[in-house]
Amino acid sequence: MKKVEESSIAVAIGAKLARVQVFPMYPITPSTHIQEQIAEYVNSGELEAELIDVESEHSALSAAVGAVAAGSRTFTATSSQGFALMFEVLPIASGMRLPIVMAVANRALSAPINIWNDHSDSVSARDQGWIQLYVESGQEALDTTIQAFKIAEDKNVLLPVMVNLDGFSLTHVFEEIDEPEQKEVDAFLPAYKPEHFLDVKNPKTFGPIAFPDSYMEFKKQQQDAMIKSLETIKKVNSEFAKKFGRPYGNGLIDTYKMADAKFAIIAMGTVCGTARVVVDELRKKGKKAGLIKLRCLRPFPTEDLLRATKGLKALGVIDRHVSLGFEGPLFADLKAVLNSNLKMAGFIAGLGGRDVSMKHLHKVFSEIEKAKPKGSWLL
Amino acid sequence: MTEEKPNEKIAGINSEELFASGHRACAGCGEALTLRHVMKAAGRNTIVVAATGCMEVVSTPYPQTAWGVPFIHVAFENAAAIASGIDAALRMQKKRDGINLLAIGGDGSSFDIGFGALSGALERGHKFTYVCTDNEAYMNCLALSSLILTKDGLKKITEVKKGDLVYAFNQNSHELVLKKCSGIFDNGKKEVFELNTLHHEIKATSNHPFLTVEKKGSGKQNSLVWKTLAELKKGDQIIALKNNGSGKSFSFQKIKLAKKGDFKVNKLNEIKLPLISSPDLMEFFGIFLGDGWIRLSRGEIGFALPEGKRARERLLMLQERLFGLKPRLDKNYVYFNSVNLARFIDSLGGFNKPAKQKTVSGWVFTLPADEKEAFVRGLMLSDGYKTGNSSRIVSASFELLKTTRLLLQTMGYRVGKIHKQKKAKGTHCVYRPLLKDCEYGYVCFSEHDDWNIEKYKSQYKYQNFLIGNMFFETEKIQSIKSIGIEPTLDLRVEGEHNFIADGIVVHNTGVQRSGATPMLANTTTSPAGKKVHGKIEPKKPLPLIVASHGIRYVATVSISNFNDLQNKMQKAFAAEGPSFIIAYCPCPVGWYHDFSQAINLARLAVQTRVFPLYEIENGVLSFNQKIETPKPLKDYTLLQGRFKHLSEEEIARMQEYVNARYEFLMGIEGKKAFDVLH
Repeated sequence: MKKVEESSIAVAIGAKLARVQVFPMYPITPSTHIQEQIAEYVNSGELEAELIDVESEHSALSAAVGAVAAGSRTFTATSSQGFALMFEVLPIASGMRLPIVMAVANRALSAPINIWNDHSDSVSARDQGWIQLYVESGQEALDTTIQAFKIAEDKNVLLPVMVNLDGFSLTHVFEEIDEPEQKEVDAFLPAYKPEHFLDVKNPKTFGPIAFPDSYMEFKKQQQDAMIKSLETIKKVNSEFAKKFGRPYGNGLIDTYKMADAKFAIIAMGTVCGTARVVVDELRKKGKKAGLIKLRCLRPFPTEDLLRATKGLKALGVIDRHVSLGFEGPLFADLKAVLNSNLKMAGFIAGLGGRDVSMKHLHKVFSEIEKAKPKGSWLL
Repeated sequence: MTEEKPNEKIAGINSEELFASGHRACAGCGEALTLRHVMKAAGRNTIVVAATGCMEVVSTPYPQTAWGVPFIHVAFENAAAIASGIDAALRMQKKRDGINLLAIGGDGSSFDIGFGALSGALERGHKFTYVCTDNEAYMNCLALSSLILTKDGLKKITEVKKGDLVYAFNQNSHELVLKKCSGIFDNGKKEVFELNTLHHEIKATSNHPFLTVEKKGSGKQNSLVWKTLAELKKGDQIIALKNNGSGKSFSFQKIKLAKKGDFKVNKLNEIKLPLISSPDLMEFFGIFLGDGWIRLSRGEIGFALPEGKRARERLLMLQERLFGLKPRLDKNYVYFNSVNLARFIDSLGGFNKPAKQKTVSGWVFTLPADEKEAFVRGLMLSDGYKTGNSSRIVSASFELLKTTRLLLQTMGYRVGKIHKQKKAKGTHCVYRPLLKDCEYGYVCFSEHDDWNIEKYKSQYKYQNFLIGNMFFETEKIQSIKSIGIEPTLDLRVEGEHNFIADGIVVHNTGVQRSGATPMLANTTTSPAGKKVHGKIEPKKPLPLIVASHGIRYVATVSISNFNDLQNKMQKAFAAEGPSFIIAYCPCPVGWYHDFSQAINLARLAVQTRVFPLYEIENGVLSFNQKIETPKPLKDYTLLQGRFKHLSEEEIARMQEYVNARYEFLMGIEGKKAFDVLH
């Protein structure tokens, strides 16, 4: 059913259609509309789920750990400082291999305090064993929330998934969305039936202490599962596309006019929408411009990126976060894996809600067309 | 796992152990005891959530677990939040009925860091029981160590790995053999007995098998049978190690040598470091272990050997032969200067340690007999003397004596026990006056008598079944006594199901102040210093704060009152909404009290009114054991090291404080002091 909805509501619809059973939450701007909407669904009886209004984000993710460990499909949402307070539990959730799904309404970290969008919250947690997906539109937010459960709960994966959407510039934007039928979502995403859960009939110990002789094996298995999940993410994306008619690239990356592109931008989230328009403008002028939308930051789709950048002359990398004292983390990752003949420049953009305008992106393209492009902050 | 056993009860207490023995908690751990009894009350249909602390460390060392029920540990401060999630999930799945949801946190995680999560879960009215195991500080855990004789020398039992070659007794050839260790398993906490013979002592559990001689009567051949310690009695003969035969010279690992021009190296007396061990070198080490030291930064090797001592001459001679360094001599000391020699000795482990921690390194056990003899000779020269046929080695390091004693036992000596002595300043000890009062130990040993085996073969064979055996001998048991409950480990050895071990348990811990630490107690972060005498602040009244959340059941329990604990746990599980129990858990390593005193201290805490037993049901407080005539606080504090710094006035202050808290509770007794919201 088509309607116009705020993207936060689209996420809530996704969670409802996924038949989330437990929803621990603590409100924080700009994720609040997601939480309010799910609370509304629960209290109106539209969604049969347990709502836990916890006393902090630390407890929100902790309660989610407890709920998934007890065998229920669990969802939560947060932003920025709340995300930072959860940080301790992030690697525990992934280390215990619990398929929690969490929406992150990306927002800058304090100080100075700022409630607007950048990626400094989630990107600074990229090493904590969560699959990180970044979405561009309300529709993609809805669809990815449903996909996230299927990816997380896959027996070969069993990892938590973060669905990242830009605070305000996506969470508070109204767009046309197509709400899938519950019946079809049920067929795509069956009920959560875990193999391992807290069961008095079959007692198991969760969260033991591992000494130096076994800790590394745990981490190795986690790493293997992360790498393997690349395939699962692709598979889930194509299954979803088949059923609902909406593909998001190959699930890991989405490309725009890359077939013959010589110069391209790579970015995550809403910036990609702006970049598409810029690419079109440049194409009209006869320039072979293109866009790579990175949908999955972790696990890192190295192979797909190598394929997508084949034949490319130069790549401009947009980071909405900076690893202070170094450079944009995505830029650093790409330099490590891409062909060394490819010219690359890193741009720090849109921190703390600063607009990333078409002018900015034109500047990026004209920079990477130079013989020796130089990265910069798009102030 | 799912079969239902009949719920047998002993004195009203469930006999089933859902917190199984075999966990690694310290002997006398109040917390482990509390959990054991809490689990007896909880029963099988329970899900346990534990906060980070001693308990998840000692009970879930991957891949083992002590928990017979589903258990989850996540972090330090969120047990109550995890329980919230589980409660919600179970309700959602319509599986909530009939399941006890138990969250457990220590005092640090309940009073301090996890208080927010606890308060939140109470306010939300989740159906769960929170047990705070209160040992009044942040505590850490213990390590096990026990020494095993392996091919590579003496190793701690925790360092022995599957596949290591371990010395064992071959029951057919009666020879010492090397066998592969095929597994190591945690035997759990068991009653441990000390078995003494004239020359050996070993700690073991009652079911530990020993090889014993079974006498079949005169004229008949005796045989060897395995008997458990429980079956042994005084006078029985057991097989003990006499000699582990002759090993190989030890090849030293290469160390990083200093070169001329290195930082701070301005003079290098070049020497050739030995590649393998030799009798001369081992004798040198023996003397070093007794009287030597190293100052690495100065490249100095020193010996406290005064003029005229025989060891001094011997040392100079050995050194000349081994290294050819020019000694510096004065009336009391001998010095050599060589950066690389200092580094070399330091690299060998155990030798270069402060006097009280010196020890014989494991590799010495693998040496040929002549090198071991030389080593003991060196040690005797510096720290020993002979009286008649008996030799005696004296040291302030009991670790050195223990390892030396084991070494001597592998060399065919008859070795006595380690004796302790205290001597006052000025008394002579090994020919030298003591500079201060000190405690030291000594161990005596002598050679075995020669027996005329050729002539009196059968006669001796009856007396000593293993006469003429190079490696083992029989020894009569002198005593077997229980020495308490201790954690134990065991090895599985391929082919021969035996190995050679002593069995000593050591521990270490950390003790940091929490909101639950009582006033004036000494912890590592509220140390009893000259200026500040321990923790300044009183203990946070957590049960009363929890009761103020309007929950229906709050109670205090103690391991001194098991039945009271059982009743209260049942009430807590039955309560509508959240319930809270605070359990008083003495901690021997944190409170510095004797391991045997845990329950006694818990009882004294009740009897002195330090930890009153009460419950708050529907907002009304009632005492379960009213202490009309309390014991003086001193009875309680004097048993604990954490209070030993206190003056009479301070104890009086504490007494006043304890009285005031008790009077406050008496003031609200029987009244609806707390509003009920759930």
